Amino acid sequence: MKTALISAMVLALLPVRAPAQGGAAPAKPAPSRSSAAAENAERWLHVRVISTDGRGETVRVNLPLELAEKVLPAVNHDRLHNGKVRIDPSEMNDVDLRALMEAIRTAKEGQYVTVEGDVRVAKEGNHLTIHVRDKSASKKSQVEVKVPIKVIDALLSAGKDELDLVAALHALGAQGDTELVSVQDSENTVKVWLDSKNVAD
Amino acid sequence: MVLLAKAALGLGGTLVLAGAYAFRDGLIRVDVDEYRAGGSHVHMWVPAAMVPMAMHFVPKHDLCDAAQHAREVLPTIHAFAKELKKLPNVDLIEMIDGGKHAQFRTRSGNLQVDVDSADEHVHLRVPLSTLDDVVGQLEESGPGV
Repeated sequence: MKTALISAMVLALLPVRAPAQGGAAPAKPAPSRSSAAAENAERWLHVRVISTDGRGETVRVNLPLELAEKVLPAVNHDRLHNGKVRIDPSEMNDVDLRALMEAIRTAKEGQYVTVEGDVRVAKEGNHLTIHVRDKSASKKSQVEVKVPIKVIDALLSAGKDELDLVAALHALGAQGDTELVSVQDSENTVKVWLDSKNVAD
Repeated sequence: MVLLAKAALGLGGTLVLAGAYAFRDGLIRVDVDEYRAGGSHVHMWVPAAMVPMAMHFVPKHDLCDAAQHAREVLPTIHAFAKELKKLPNVDLIEMIDGGKHAQFRTRSGNLQVDVDSADEHVHLRVPLSTLDDVVGQLEESGPGV
């Protein structure tokens, strides 16, 4: 009896954390979220790749934007530091991204680049859209990219020769449900989109 | 007889309390089945609370070495575990390739990795709080801390 009492006292004095569920452990209520988490928790980035080549390859990724925002600054590898990617100016061929973006922002809506009807770059509403149709290839592919201009602004908000990925994700979180990338060819379908659901449709 | 009953009650009570304490963080489950000649079958259930506790018995210099080797990824894993703990049950990554099916998901505060194919099944379930604790301890054991 003494042993049990001493054990009970020792265990009662030890710090006890909320139990996690697993195996024989008791059920745990849904974890509470911080106010910051609740604010941005509804934004999920989804990636879906479906291959129709017969093997039935499928990749589905569902990622909360807040998670990406918090984890990215912790990654320090190669050119990625503190959520920012360093650009090598020599790879930019003297293109000033900021000046280019400023020109697009202040310009009127419409098409900017059209290459033989296959490539089209346009400003539509608050988005920069890129459409690429490859009719000549045997695969007949079609790529559509739609990026909110605010996201591009945020991306370019870091210092010179840097892209601020965290700021871009934060800006993306403020957008409504939107399809960002769509790629379709005879073998694959790729879709990247943003919504408030934690499951892909 | 009464003395024996008291002793049994004491022992039983101790076991129940010790069990409750050991399992308070859930279980780390590792199940590996390889369906081929000589394939291994590993089924391991470890009380998650034991892992951070056991780390206290690992020699300091070994922990320091491990922390040194993993120093680049530790902050990432720490941030990842911390954020995953906030998530409801969600399928984060799912890959299907022919007969292979891999899933990376959160289930009730656990990180669950399931890989199923014709010749092997791998299932791993780790409480995120344990992952966070272990990474935290490794970070604290790093050189210069």
